[in-house]
Amino acid sequence: MAHLELDKVSAAYGKLRVLDGIELSVAKGETVGLIGPSGSGKSTILRVLTGLLKPETGSVRVAGETINFDKPADIRTLRNRTAIVFQQYNLFQNLTVLENVMIAPIKVHGRKRSEVQAEAENLLEKVGLANKLESYPDQLSGGQQQRVAIARGLCLKPEILLLDEVTAALDPELVSEVLDTIRELAAEGMTMVIVSHEMGFIREISARVAFMADGKVVELGAPADIFDAPNQDRTRDFVGKILRH
Amino acid sequence: MDYTFQYGQVWPYLPYLIKGAWLSLQIAFLAFCGGMLIGTVCAAVKTFGGGFSRHAVNAYVVFFVNTPQLVQIYFLYFALPDLGIFLSSYMAVLLGMTLNAGAYLTEIQRAGFESRRQSEMEAAEVLGFSRLQQIRYVILPHVAKVLFPPLSNHYILMTLGTSMAAIFGVEELTGRAFNINSETFRSLEVFSIVAVIYVFVTLIASVALALFGKFAFRTKMRVV
Repeated sequence: MAHLELDKVSAAYGKLRVLDGIELSVAKGETVGLIGPSGSGKSTILRVLTGLLKPETGSVRVAGETINFDKPADIRTLRNRTAIVFQQYNLFQNLTVLENVMIAPIKVHGRKRSEVQAEAENLLEKVGLANKLESYPDQLSGGQQQRVAIARGLCLKPEILLLDEVTAALDPELVSEVLDTIRELAAEGMTMVIVSHEMGFIREISARVAFMADGKVVELGAPADIFDAPNQDRTRDFVGKILRH
Repeated sequence: MDYTFQYGQVWPYLPYLIKGAWLSLQIAFLAFCGGMLIGTVCAAVKTFGGGFSRHAVNAYVVFFVNTPQLVQIYFLYFALPDLGIFLSSYMAVLLGMTLNAGAYLTEIQRAGFESRRQSEMEAAEVLGFSRLQQIRYVILPHVAKVLFPPLSNHYILMTLGTSMAAIFGVEELTGRAFNINSETFRSLEVFSIVAVIYVFVTLIASVALALFGKFAFRTKMRVV
């Protein structure tokens, strides 16, 4: 059964339609990659799934429950089940690495500090930052900040992790350290939706890949099919351009 | 140059001058606190308010930022009595400096309010922070950090600005220097000592503020 389901979801920024009848489902433990040109709506799907953007029509179901975007309680449920990692990390600059990871579980979910701290330290060790607990974000490299952001997301114990072009702001040498972290999560069975321009990585890690253009899912299938034998001209065009580089 | 320095005549006045410096600090501190109160309210109105209240604040700021402080205090001290309002010279100076500071601090703080980072606000929202938690954990720490250096600067400027009080006969540091000068006629000695006291006082304030900023907000130390 699908853990996450989008059914004919459409959304707009003002008059600009950015999602146009999206159909997408993600099974528990599955990793789905979203690829496509800029402005095709990849990141917008993630904004809908975190309650930052309310769809105009269509429905979003998580674990069988339909989310009513007008009900604050439903938005809270959605945010409890998902965690997002942003392209620009969006860490709290005035808090240390450890505090960044701990603040939401303690202040929002009311969990015990000692318990959260042990978990946060574990997570930060896992992403290779055990020696940076007391550092501030501006003292870290981009790759390190991005791994803090991943740890912050994981500390919420999400069922679904959403990654929004998490390597786009990093220089090439730092990309691999972030990708290694994500690989490990996939191996542990985390349900993930990954937006990325790292085609090699998407191909390797995704169970299925959705190619998007103009707010629609143009083609959805196994990575080998999308990259090697796409059905649609639009997909072939995009993949062809990218692989030529 | 055949001027003979005679500091001996002026040294005995040192405690008298230092008491004057203390009064200067007092005026600066009180006017700054008053100005902060006005500035915070007005900056909030300018950022979040609308309609009439915003126009009123704009008029106040434009008027006080674009007229000399000296003229503002002259108005309070010499013009208001014509309308039947009498202020002591000390009160006129304090009120004038407070109103002037209020206008400048409104602009400084408005810039701070507007610099809140959208990316962090979004992260806070997604993590489930309430509106109040967003203000407490994201907006305030950021705004305080951004505003600390320009506010410190303005405070130092105000400390030096208190010398204007001498013109109205307030016996702060400069006023007392005038007094000694008219008794001894040792202008060079008197005003060089007064200059050194001003440097000393503002340096101490700068270092104290910089240290506070370093520990409270991790701002870069830069005194001179």
